[in-house]
Amino acid sequence: MKKILAITFRDLRVRFASFVEWLFFLILPIVFTLVLSGGTGAPADNRVRLVVVDQANTSLSTELITALENSESVRPDLLSLDDAEYQFDSRRVSAMLIIPQGFAREALESGTLTLELRQQPNSLNALVAQRSVQAVISRVGQAVAIARNSLAEAEALRPFETDAARQTYFDDALESAQTLLAEAPDRLTETQGDTPDQIEYDPRANSSAGQLITWVFIPLIGLSELFAYERQKGTLRRILTTPTRKGTYLFGTIFGQVLIALGQMTLLVLFGILVMNLNWGQDVFGLAIMLVAGALAAAALGTMLGTFVKTTGQANGLSIMLGMVMALMGGCWYPLELFPEAVRSMVKVLPTTWAMQGLLDLVLRGQPWTAILPEAGVLLGFAAVFFVIGILRFKYE
Amino acid sequence: MPTILEVKDLVKKYGDFTAVKGISFNIQEGEIFSLLGPNGAGKTTTISVLSTLYAATSGDATIAGHSVSKDPMAVRKVIGVVPQEIALYEDLTARENLNFWGQMYSLSGKALKDRVEEILEQIGLTDKARDKVKTYSGGMKRRVNIGVGLLHKPSLLFMDEPTVGIDPQSRRAILDSVKDLNRQGMTVLYTTHYMEEAAELSNRVGIIDHGELIALGTQKELTRQVGEMETLVLHVDEMQDVQRLAKAVEALEMVRHAEVSDHSVTAIVPEAEEALAPAVTKANELGIKIRSVDIREPNLEAVFLHLTGRALRD
Repeated sequence: MKKILAITFRDLRVRFASFVEWLFFLILPIVFTLVLSGGTGAPADNRVRLVVVDQANTSLSTELITALENSESVRPDLLSLDDAEYQFDSRRVSAMLIIPQGFAREALESGTLTLELRQQPNSLNALVAQRSVQAVISRVGQAVAIARNSLAEAEALRPFETDAARQTYFDDALESAQTLLAEAPDRLTETQGDTPDQIEYDPRANSSAGQLITWVFIPLIGLSELFAYERQKGTLRRILTTPTRKGTYLFGTIFGQVLIALGQMTLLVLFGILVMNLNWGQDVFGLAIMLVAGALAAAALGTMLGTFVKTTGQANGLSIMLGMVMALMGGCWYPLELFPEAVRSMVKVLPTTWAMQGLLDLVLRGQPWTAILPEAGVLLGFAAVFFVIGILRFKYE
Repeated sequence: MPTILEVKDLVKKYGDFTAVKGISFNIQEGEIFSLLGPNGAGKTTTISVLSTLYAATSGDATIAGHSVSKDPMAVRKVIGVVPQEIALYEDLTARENLNFWGQMYSLSGKALKDRVEEILEQIGLTDKARDKVKTYSGGMKRRVNIGVGLLHKPSLLFMDEPTVGIDPQSRRAILDSVKDLNRQGMTVLYTTHYMEEAAELSNRVGIIDHGELIALGTQKELTRQVGEMETLVLHVDEMQDVQRLAKAVEALEMVRHAEVSDHSVTAIVPEAEEALAPAVTKANELGIKIRSVDIREPNLEAVFLHLTGRALRD
């Protein structure tokens, strides 16, 4: 055991002897994860920005802005008139809404309510803004229309004794209408897709899982380079003239690399949790199973490749090429659902495919550890086959 | 002196090629034994088999009573190996390298720490112990390479051409350190293709060529095989026809054998001074200009030439 640990710590020291290694170990994986996820934190707000100038400052104007904020199409940005005009004139926004003085319930009731919407010409976003404002106004007006109808029906049954009683009835009716409209669902129609597989995609989750696999698999496959280096330098031959068994050497070397990979994956997962608000930690046991299974499969592949390559140059080129291709085809860079059906079937022979699906089951689909057992089982199967071939065919000379 | 290494009919084949052809020899405790031979003679293969790296095709060897084929782990505990290449981790410091290799030799704790410091002192690198090996000169790397082989105080040290590719000063330091180790009681099996190293270091020399041990004995015993012959070396300019000169010199009555190597003609003669004048006359007749002349006493080079008809560096 002491020798295994000695080999493991030697590999740690050799690997991190140069600062450059940190670039590949942590810095680049984080950079690529961020770039491909489109940023950190909450999902990006992709709604069309609508500059709003509130000159009325009435309860109705506030109600209108709140309704716009709840819109799925536009994102109101409250500015002064000067700022809004500057942004509009410099074409930084597609549309600008001015709520004029006098925008109050009385004007709504009397039908004299006006709004000013300025739009950039030939802009689809401006059109979206226009539709959204119309929809919101319609909704706000709808409550007044309902209240008016209610008032008319009540007056037909029995006229109000005073104007105050009439106004009170109208206000109550308006409030009830607004409440009921706010609670009413937008749509009642449920649409069921007719495609067999729904594309589940979250750029942050996919990027975090995909880059984790990419940047951990490549150095693990590069285990073949470590073996080639030891053969080329003569250190492997030297170890085998010491009272150290071949198995001790192999186990120590593989164990060291797997340990480094697990450390790297843990750091990337923590980055995903702390910086990208990803839900990696909901099933720690399942995550641990997936990470260990993935690391073992990649290390086993590296061990097997170590039996074919002769030089460090060959090993380096092969591990990068294989790692990149396997990551791409395994769905680590793009969702597998975008690939043709035939390709999706073919890539099931790659460990990266199973690793990616397992990790997405956890971080994207929120499934429990029992759900990732098939993926983990396949990865451990890969590991067993590759290790057997790699160890039996290992070249010590 | 008891025998520490006994080699019996050792054969090593790689496919159809036989690298070592049934060699046998013994080494006594406290001895420096050199295997002398040109590149490709089978020296490294022999050491590789003896250090349990390769299995022998047939035959066997025992080291301190342990068979290299049957009990390799016991053999590894009593041998130290200094390979021809610099088998170190260049991104680690000398101390880190020694620590790691010490652990491979099952050292640990204070024993390991103390031994590493002793070795650093012995190889004169205590001040540079924190520097990465890749920053060292070739000679310094060689010293660490040797130090690793000494960590566990082996009974028998294999040194495979430890002076290849280094400057004369470092080479001298290594030869002196081998003699020091031997004075401290260490038995050394030293392989080289440098006749001078074998002559300076060894109690006994085995001359190996094409996988066969063609001569074995002390330097005196071996030089006696070529009688009282001396070696006359005629150095000529690069553009001269050295082959014609060799033929002409070999035709002289007193010359037993003549051989071309580089831009020289090496002749084995009973009396070099007597052969010099006729040889120079032949050169003049052929219009070949002699640049310089060496006269050498009987040595291992002459023995090798006598036995194989070739110079050692061929």
